Amino acid sequence: MSLSGLLSVLKILFIGGIQQLFNKLTGKKSPPSAAGLTILCPIINGSCGQKSYAMQTRQYLQDMPLHEESPMAKVPNTYLCRFYVLNDVFYEGAPAVEEHLNSKYIVFSSNYYGDLDTYLTGMWEHAQEEVQKIWQHAVTFDRVQNAADFVAYIKRCQVNNSLFFNGSTGEPLEEQLKNLYLKQEFSRFVYEHQGLKPEELQCAFKAFIARTQPKNMSAPTWIAGAHKEIVKDS
Amino acid sequence: MSNIAGKSYAMNVVTPAKWYLTWLNKLFFGFVQLPGGAAYLKGLLTLSLIHYARWAIVSPKQFPHLDPSQPKETIKYSYMFFFSNFNGSWAQYVDSFHTAIPGGLDLFWTKNVKYPKSVPLQPFHAYITYNQVWTNHYYNAYPLASSNDVKNAQHLSGKLRAFNDVHSNDDPQDFQQAYNALLLEVQGAISIMEPTPIISLSAQAVEERLSHESEVNSA
Repeated sequence: MSLSGLLSVLKILFIGGIQQLFNKLTGKKSPPSAAGLTILCPIINGSCGQKSYAMQTRQYLQDMPLHEESPMAKVPNTYLCRFYVLNDVFYEGAPAVEEHLNSKYIVFSSNYYGDLDTYLTGMWEHAQEEVQKIWQHAVTFDRVQNAADFVAYIKRCQVNNSLFFNGSTGEPLEEQLKNLYLKQEFSRFVYEHQGLKPEELQCAFKAFIARTQPKNMSAPTWIAGAHKEIVKDS
Repeated sequence: MSNIAGKSYAMNVVTPAKWYLTWLNKLFFGFVQLPGGAAYLKGLLTLSLIHYARWAIVSPKQFPHLDPSQPKETIKYSYMFFFSNFNGSWAQYVDSFHTAIPGGLDLFWTKNVKYPKSVPLQPFHAYITYNQVWTNHYYNAYPLASSNDVKNAQHLSGKLRAFNDVHSNDDPQDFQQAYNALLLEVQGAISIMEPTPIISLSAQAVEERLSHESEVNSA
């Protein structure tokens, strides 16, 4: 193996993870699945009035509507995500060294389905207004003018995950929501149709299938982010 | 500000580690992703209360520097960012990990500055509490569902679609027999999902504040 090849292996091993190396050696290509995006976006040091830009950013994030009203509910294929402002790092006490960050960071961690470019483009297209408000005080974000700029900006702020653990199913969100809707509706059906004669049961089941349309992923189904049962009918 | 969205809790922990030792963490994280190393994650799967979790190790040079106007970071430690989305309360989660995979936790956090190890419990609690960052906005696409609900829904729906394809037009007697067999097969997935009970005083405070705001806005 050449020196550059060896360096490439070491880079993959320690920066991209051993899984990538394994996939590369075996030629295995991962199918679309759940993925984790982790980004740290520096906030401009400074203030407007009596509030620092970091404080304004935190205030905006905290005031964003929750659940189905959250702007992230509009972003396709977002399973779970969070924002926080990292003010500084922690001092663990002597004999550790006390140190501080020179910038504060917007930390955005998203668990989503599919490839990153599609996901981020969807984020820009479906929640552009909120995206621009969240990142309005981030360093160089004023240069972001369109979806392509946003994708490039986020990638500059991205840090590699050393380990991503998927404890869920890895299906597209639309399928997960449809399956949850079906689970809920079928559970009710079972409770409500006990002790029927075979003909009555079969008739009721056919009506249930006609109503719930198990193979139609788009409707009826649960609304993304809903904190109580809200069914989308069409 | 809330770490809770429906049945999920968002945990963020940021811990320092000497940069020249983080290769050990990366090696272990890489190892558990290989087929032979996956057994080390068995405890995580067995716990079955996690939607998604991740660890990201960021060296001083890897903190994004986007423009000359932004001051460069002068820190010496690398920092390990841990994110988890799990069902239940903070104490249930931390105690479950401490009990189920203490060895795995010690390997994940090996060489982190002043990491006390996961046993005994109280120093571990204190370490996580001290290094935890509160979430400013948390979004969950299915607040009514636990991680097990999502997995059970996939199982149940697959069986239901297949059953409908094969048996919906059976003779009624055969249909009922097959239906009963279906119920036996998916009985573990049959349950009604409802809003989670309040699991902490802070979650209760958030609920009360939102309820109050909603009343004020609708008045």
